[in-house]
Amino acid sequence: MSAETALPGRAPRRRGGLTGLLAAAAPAVAGLLPVLVTLVFVGLPVVLAVLYTLGYTGGLNQPESQLATHQIVAQHGLTLGAWQHIFGEPGFLENLWTTAWVTVAATVALVVVAWAIALYIRFATGFGKRIVSSLFVVPIFVPGVISSYALVTFWQNHGRLAGILYALGLHTVSLPGGTNVSVVLGLVWTNIPFGVLLIAAGLQSVPQPYVDAARDASASWFMIVRTVLFPLAKLPTLVVVTFIAVGTLGTYTIPEIMGPTSPQMLGVNMANAYTSYGQPQDAEIMAVLVFLMAIVFSVMYVRANTAEVRRLERR
Amino acid sequence: MTTTTAESETLSGPPAGSLFGESAPRRRAEVVARRALRFAGRNAGIVLLGLFILAPLATLAIGAFAETWFYPSALPSQWSLSWWGQVLTTQGLSRSIELSIMFAVVSTLVSAVLCLPAAYAFGRRRFRGKTAMMMTIFAVNAFPKIGLYIALASLLYAANLMGTFAGVVVVQSLTTIVTMTWIPAGSFAAVPKPLEEAARDTGASSWRVFRTVTLPLARPGILVAVILSFLSCMDEAQGTLLVGVPNYVTMPVQMYTLIDSFPGPATAVFSVLLTLPSVVLLLVARRYLFDGTLAAGYQLR
Repeated sequence: MSAETALPGRAPRRRGGLTGLLAAAAPAVAGLLPVLVTLVFVGLPVVLAVLYTLGYTGGLNQPESQLATHQIVAQHGLTLGAWQHIFGEPGFLENLWTTAWVTVAATVALVVVAWAIALYIRFATGFGKRIVSSLFVVPIFVPGVISSYALVTFWQNHGRLAGILYALGLHTVSLPGGTNVSVVLGLVWTNIPFGVLLIAAGLQSVPQPYVDAARDASASWFMIVRTVLFPLAKLPTLVVVTFIAVGTLGTYTIPEIMGPTSPQMLGVNMANAYTSYGQPQDAEIMAVLVFLMAIVFSVMYVRANTAEVRRLERR
Repeated sequence: MTTTTAESETLSGPPAGSLFGESAPRRRAEVVARRALRFAGRNAGIVLLGLFILAPLATLAIGAFAETWFYPSALPSQWSLSWWGQVLTTQGLSRSIELSIMFAVVSTLVSAVLCLPAAYAFGRRRFRGKTAMMMTIFAVNAFPKIGLYIALASLLYAANLMGTFAGVVVVQSLTTIVTMTWIPAGSFAAVPKPLEEAARDTGASSWRVFRTVTLPLARPGILVAVILSFLSCMDEAQGTLLVGVPNYVTMPVQMYTLIDSFPGPATAVFSVLLTLPSVVLLLVARRYLFDGTLAAGYQLR
């Protein structure tokens, strides 16, 4: 304090009384605003949805349950009847399985492609680096509905690519457009910018001396990636995995436009059940199912992030 | 053959005394072309990546200038601009353009008012429960979108908000909460404390420090968040389809109908129109998007 008083103007302004209290509480209050919005528009609906799937149609669930052409209502307490019913529906298990494998395939494919591009950007110089750096961001510029449409017209049988191949003399090539493989293609295409941006940022933050030191120790390029770059870019990779997996589980547009009608991903299935078939309870069950699948990834992300925060705080 | 000519020209060099003479740009163009060819030969991977990303967009854009284009022609059999006039004068379509912009502006504003003060608090202050609060907000992104909208619908029915303007604003601004909080929080956190202290030492008030030091330094992050939020609202097709239809049909929602029931070239024209705002806005933010501002927003500080 004495050093501070010696320098005029150095003393920090401290407000006492009510204003001081308000100033101290202000950040927490400001932070609470989006938190409350989240609790009301995410937390509450999720609780309501879970209760509805267990047969509770009272309270805030009542207006929605009145739309249902078919639902299972608990007479007293809760029931698993609706869950038993939906697992017995033809095609449902197939849709569930499709959702799972498309999610895993899209996430793995994206991480591999994004790492390859990010590594190229990290180590390449000149012309190639400039081209790839402007290439990978292109999908950001295109709205999801548009890119899905562009991709499906390109990849489908008798589509644009088939036309080009035909002109080149290839008349009978089978293309993936309209299948769930093309849904994976669409997801990779759409997510390349996000994946590369995050992983490339992680790779840029690896200090060059680390890489040089490994090289001096005559480590191979693969060794450098595995032992120096990968551990330091683990967090961004995990962020990418989480966001892509959760995003895929919750996507409607890409499978709706690019995918087949059967088997279809749960995102499309639940939207149809809700809006077309008048089965909000089935839709809510599918919603809860994708929530459960997403939790696996989100927990991973939160744990990695809090570990990182702790590491930074210890420093 | 071309290579040898170009090389001999390079060797002979420009006439003495005109180092920046007329032949320089032409020679540079040749050098670039030569380099590009050699590059393509050596970098099949990059060429494939380019085709994978650009070819579908290119064929879609070409389709907007076609009268008809059917398999197996590799290019339109007849060119025409007639679909542009048709799309622009179809009543429902121009209305959907208006609606999209209106919703995007309102939802982004709502989100900014709710989230930016919080972003400042998260980035700049220490207080109890900060991490827990940020994690709660992250829950918006932790739930798969379409599932969340389905769950949200029951609440919107209960509140009589299904099919209303406010209902669509809720859905659209909800999807931007994480972007609008986490990315600016990252930028606020990155403002060096000593700069603020220096300003305070010269006698500036807290508000003045915020306005003249903190805010300008955090502006890239805020700009990125606002632009990304605006675009995500403009492009939002899943929740708006569920909540807004049939009263509010925005451009992306309109696309579903177009794909099913309009001729290909008309859909292509509409696609080009719908892509334009994204291209313009992202070019504005380009500098900040790729300097790590975005990446920093997904990590806690």
